[in-house]
Amino acid sequence: MITTKHMRILYKCLLLFFIFLSLYFLKANNILAQDPVYVTIFYSETCPHCVKEKFFLDKLSQKYPYLNIRELETTDNRELFQKVSERLRKPARGVPYTVIGEEVVVGYQSDDTTGKQIENIVIEHSTYKCTDFVAGVMEEEGILPQGEKIVGGDCPDDEVKQKGVLVKLPVLGTVDSSSLSLPVLTFLIAFMDGFNPCAMWVLLFLISLLIGLKDKKKLLILGSAFIFVSGAVYFLFLAAWLNVFFFLGFVPWLRSLIGIIAVISGILHLRDYHRKRTGCKATDEKKRKKIFGRIQSIIHTRSFWLALAGISALAVTVNMLELVCSAGLPAIYTQILALSRLPAWQYYLYLLFYIAIFMLDDMIIFLIAVKTWQTIGISSKFSRYSNLIGGIIILLLGIFLLFKPEWVMFG
Amino acid sequence: MKVLKFGAVWCSGCLLMVPRWQEIEKKLPWLKTEYYDIDKDVEVAKKYRLTDYPAFIFLDKDDQEFHRIYGEIDKKELVEYLQDNKNK
Repeated sequence: MITTKHMRILYKCLLLFFIFLSLYFLKANNILAQDPVYVTIFYSETCPHCVKEKFFLDKLSQKYPYLNIRELETTDNRELFQKVSERLRKPARGVPYTVIGEEVVVGYQSDDTTGKQIENIVIEHSTYKCTDFVAGVMEEEGILPQGEKIVGGDCPDDEVKQKGVLVKLPVLGTVDSSSLSLPVLTFLIAFMDGFNPCAMWVLLFLISLLIGLKDKKKLLILGSAFIFVSGAVYFLFLAAWLNVFFFLGFVPWLRSLIGIIAVISGILHLRDYHRKRTGCKATDEKKRKKIFGRIQSIIHTRSFWLALAGISALAVTVNMLELVCSAGLPAIYTQILALSRLPAWQYYLYLLFYIAIFMLDDMIIFLIAVKTWQTIGISSKFSRYSNLIGGIIILLLGIFLLFKPEWVMFG
Repeated sequence: MKVLKFGAVWCSGCLLMVPRWQEIEKKLPWLKTEYYDIDKDVEVAKKYRLTDYPAFIFLDKDDQEFHRIYGEIDKKELVEYLQDNKNK
């Protein structure tokens, strides 16, 4: 029978789907409120590295629709090239000579090295809205093409960018935002997302049955498999979100949307803290009985490998059902992570760290069960306090994403 | 006074309250309690229309409910409440 609760879940899923669809079409139609960023490449016709870079810049402009590429052949623009390099005090020793704002990159090695460096500068300039230096020189010389105008303003200097900003936080006091590290933020959000005694019901039932069988090997292997697969499913989910944000790039209103979700999520967590609720709502009885029935038939299977496969499949099903409609915190976290400038492997390392903290309560319960042959409960006081601290952090992250996104760019 | 305790093997808060109730029952030998598993004793659980777990229903001498508590509760707080209502 379809209940009001099912309808609410369905509406939430439809809303998420609609948001994704809207974002896809908006990206395709370039309906983006974003100041253009100009990349000027001085190149030579006989330079093979220039060809490589032009190809890369072409791909980059598709990823970031606000990006404009200005290609200037050095022979035809010798005077301009000289003036730009003199004024920037960066000698024109070779090509390609790439200018973004007042930053210069000479040469081009590969997409992963120089390409990544150029991309990072583009991202920084889109956030700080730095001025197009080459357009300024071209205007002085009277050679700025019709229709082009000088965009942007003063870029903050490196000291300001590196130093961060002093921020006054409730409870925590005055904090230098540059000292708020990504690992700490990962820990706080993952803890808030994962530490939930009410969400452990499937694992607790599984452990209680396995303890009843008095089979330590089964307890160890099947319990570990359930936890491992649950973690893997969530990892893939986080990785998918991360790649969504990479693919959509720095779409400003996507960032704003996630900011709004973060503000609402923060308020809801603070409300939950205020409510002082320590009990757990019972899951739908029918759903619970169905899952428990499956667990019982799996653990009583004679074939160990079938039991292992069954537990793994159950872990996938149970977690997928919960994930689809509770995407708030993962979306907020992966948006923050995507804004940070890190090597590719570090993104996934942070996701692994997130999963480790996320699964911490499950692992504690499981290890105690293996050691003592008993299931114990975890006090919901932990999740209450995580609602308080995490709620404040998430609320602030939302406000920063809306008004000061550069404050949440780590790395 | 009698206390009906509702819980389940899969309920973290319920598991947390088990040792607390054991200590309380040792400390207050006059206290009568009954435990019901919400998966096995479905009709009893339905009778009291419980919304959260664990749940503790307090019955007076005439088996009428006069109070209920949902969720974890501090042992000291619980002992105080039980002693204050001992003669109900």
